Amino acid sequence: MKLHSEPVRTAELDPNFKFEVMSHEAARDVTACFSCGTCTAGCPIHEIFPEYDPRKMARMVNLGMRKRVLSSPYIWYCATCHTCEEHCPQNVKFFNVLNVLKNMAAKEGYAPPSWVNQTKQVMKTGIVFATEEAWIKKREELSLRPLKGDGKEAAKLIQLTDVDKIEPRAQS
Amino acid sequence: MMNRYALFLGCTTPTRVPQYELSARWICKRLGIELVDIEDFVCCGANQINISIEAGLLLSAMNLAYAEAQDLDIVTLCAACFGVLAEAAEKLKNEEVREGVNRKLSKIGLEYHGKTKVKHISRVIYEDVGLDGIRKAAKRDLSKLRAAPHYGCHYLKPRSVSEGFDEPDNPKTLHQLISATGAKPIEYETLDYCCGGKAFPVSEDLAHSLVAKKLDNLRDREVDCMVLQCQTCYLMYGAQQEKVSKKFNKQYSIPVLLYPQLLGLAMGADPVAHLGLNLNMPLVDRLLDKIG
Repeated sequence: MKLHSEPVRTAELDPNFKFEVMSHEAARDVTACFSCGTCTAGCPIHEIFPEYDPRKMARMVNLGMRKRVLSSPYIWYCATCHTCEEHCPQNVKFFNVLNVLKNMAAKEGYAPPSWVNQTKQVMKTGIVFATEEAWIKKREELSLRPLKGDGKEAAKLIQLTDVDKIEPRAQS
Repeated sequence: MMNRYALFLGCTTPTRVPQYELSARWICKRLGIELVDIEDFVCCGANQINISIEAGLLLSAMNLAYAEAQDLDIVTLCAACFGVLAEAAEKLKNEEVREGVNRKLSKIGLEYHGKTKVKHISRVIYEDVGLDGIRKAAKRDLSKLRAAPHYGCHYLKPRSVSEGFDEPDNPKTLHQLISATGAKPIEYETLDYCCGGKAFPVSEDLAHSLVAKKLDNLRDREVDCMVLQCQTCYLMYGAQQEKVSKKFNKQYSIPVLLYPQLLGLAMGADPVAHLGLNLNMPLVDRLLDKIG
């Protein structure tokens, strides 16, 4: 589904969406956005892929376009450079807003497999790549210490957030 | 506790870019920085934030608690590990937030009291060794090298975590660190471009396009190498360089060094045994020939 370019239908709008987003401490300033576009102007992803547009995403949140925002693949394209929040004259932490949106989307089954799988791996080995044979050997050759490769404690801890119940979206 | 730190390796450096770890250990040993290994460290939580901010914070807190239990501050090699752990440490200074997190940490027998500080390796070198200290330690002449600094987004941002150490919009510290080794840091237009590493797992094309923008700029500037301070930036500009070249039909050939490798060269280290420069892609032979 396209993020933009389709008419906004009032029947699809969820007036509570922005409050739901703001209930997360990290995103509480999203309604302060006055759509100046400073975030978009400095966004490296926007520069190469104009459809990715922080200003529009913030506007869509404030309008209540819940389904279109959460189901959009674009919300996952952020490079996490923090430039948007660094430059925002309204002190909106858009990087954090986006994380809240991604968390909500993940619960609804829209997360890309890469992030879900990385978390599953951390729950197994504590870090993302610990058990790959080639790298274990390379470390031995360089006389670097072996990695513990144990994710039991990490798994016990983050299961308390139900993150292990998140399933990735079907590959398109 | 000065000059003694828990070394936080993260996920990617120890498995994908061990030359960063190797060279960092080599220079630290000779510059009076003691690195303590904590076996129990796990992923910093940076990527978990994508699907659960709470899970990310818990992983960060777990690591901060392990360091605190040994009365150590953390030094990271990865810029993102630094950013995420430092942000978590900041959040966890709030008692209410910390209490909530500690209720969960107690399930695995941990408690965090809010004491751990987190610094990036470059900041530790800058502050503990100092630019004069680096100049004194530098023996090999690197003055022929034109090096393009690349800071890495999380080294600088969000502004709050670096405590005024550097200026996100006009950074200077890596330029100075390079200068102190004798090499010449250059100015270039795309200095603040992001490597795209965190977009890579979701869209390789997007990330490669970002890499190409900076490499185009640097090719025009005739640099001998890039110098950077994060293994993810290295993977994007270095390890992915050939793929990006092919994808966009370009002929990039820009060696990419991690800062401890450059400093190690200046200090007279063996390029292979001490710095793992043979593992860098693209190959650095031309650069080594140039410094002789």
